[in-house]
Amino acid sequence: MATTALEHELKEMIIETLELEDVTPDDIDPEEPLFVEGLGLDSIDALELGLALQKRYGITLESEAESSRQHFANLKSLASLVESRRQK
Amino acid sequence: MTPVSSNPNHWSRIRETGTAGGVRTMVWIRRKLGRLPFQIMLALVIVYYYIAHGLHRRASHTYLTRLWRHLHGEAPQHLTWLSLRHFRSFGQSLMDKIDAWSGIPPALSFEGDTREQFRQAVMSGRGGIMFVSHVGNMEICTAMSDMQDDFRATLLMHTRNASQFDEVLARSTHRENPPEIIEVSEITPSTAMKLGQRIAEGGFVVIAADRVPISDSGRARTLPFLGHPARFPEGPFWLASLLRCPVYTIGCFREATSYRIDFDHFDDTSDLSRRDRSAWIDSAMQRYVDWLTRQCEKTPLQWFNFFPFWLDCADAHADADTHHDAYRHDDPEDERSIS
Repeated sequence: MATTALEHELKEMIIETLELEDVTPDDIDPEEPLFVEGLGLDSIDALELGLALQKRYGITLESEAESSRQHFANLKSLASLVESRRQK
Repeated sequence: MTPVSSNPNHWSRIRETGTAGGVRTMVWIRRKLGRLPFQIMLALVIVYYYIAHGLHRRASHTYLTRLWRHLHGEAPQHLTWLSLRHFRSFGQSLMDKIDAWSGIPPALSFEGDTREQFRQAVMSGRGGIMFVSHVGNMEICTAMSDMQDDFRATLLMHTRNASQFDEVLARSTHRENPPEIIEVSEITPSTAMKLGQRIAEGGFVVIAADRVPISDSGRARTLPFLGHPARFPEGPFWLASLLRCPVYTIGCFREATSYRIDFDHFDDTSDLSRRDRSAWIDSAMQRYVDWLTRQCEKTPLQWFNFFPFWLDCADAHADADTHHDAYRHDDPEDERSIS
């Protein structure tokens, strides 16, 4: 399955924000979990990623109930979040 | 699900003194009968609490003894009297909170040239984080939005922290623009994003960094405070490092008839790199504890953490008191989520 432009942009953002030195965009599987397995990111990384999304796309999540775990599950879910909520 | 602290003496487990009905009665007396009847009533309530609430009394005794040893090299001579005054000072702060939330502007004065610093911080439009503590009356800080236009505060509070009192107050008062309160049990990406947005809009996020998170899995670390080990939360410092913004400290202390504001620049994390973050948190936590110590030195009776603050409180109480409570110190080793 082809990677969309937004997915590629997000991959680069993740690598840059989290300074993942040995990772290239191709290493990130859009369907693979970002946290614990997959890239092995932790809760601090999640906060940082959230802030990067906020800064770059002006996204905020409505409430705590709206599970950020779900949006942050993998690159695909992240891309659909950005697509539907981006302010800039 | 966030595991809630299993330590029975964790501050969040200690029921807020005063029921909703009691608070409402006091608000009513204050409003309808005025300050003097309120103060007489308050004095009676304080003596009652001092006698009835052993946990708070012992917490006060431990704190006062440790502060006096730190300041004067010896324990206070009239501990009971001093502790009653400590309780009274807390009661007074509740009354001031009622005023502040009622929209009655407190008389404020800034220490030294801090007024200008504060004004500049607000006018810069960069927003920031303000570390506060439970020394003095941080609610007064939020009332500053009434005197400095453009000052917008967002209070980040732990769920269950003093919430009964504050909820009752918020519902029974008439302030037009109360500060925004965000209650969390742990800091999630969605909280961080919301805070990031507030700061981007030039607002200030107010966080108390002297109470450890409700969840046992929250990150906290032990630092010496007044010569004894105490737990401090890492969460506020992680947030400060991640939000990349100016960081300030603000204290608000009662003097005879007014409040003195002590506002100071603490740091700026705008250019803090990931690599330096951990070292920054080490240094920032130590600097915060130093600041907290200075606040206590300046206003000894305005310490409003009436729960066993130190890890070795049980020992202190065993020395000071005839009855000994068994304190448990859960000390999770692997702390991965922050709050």
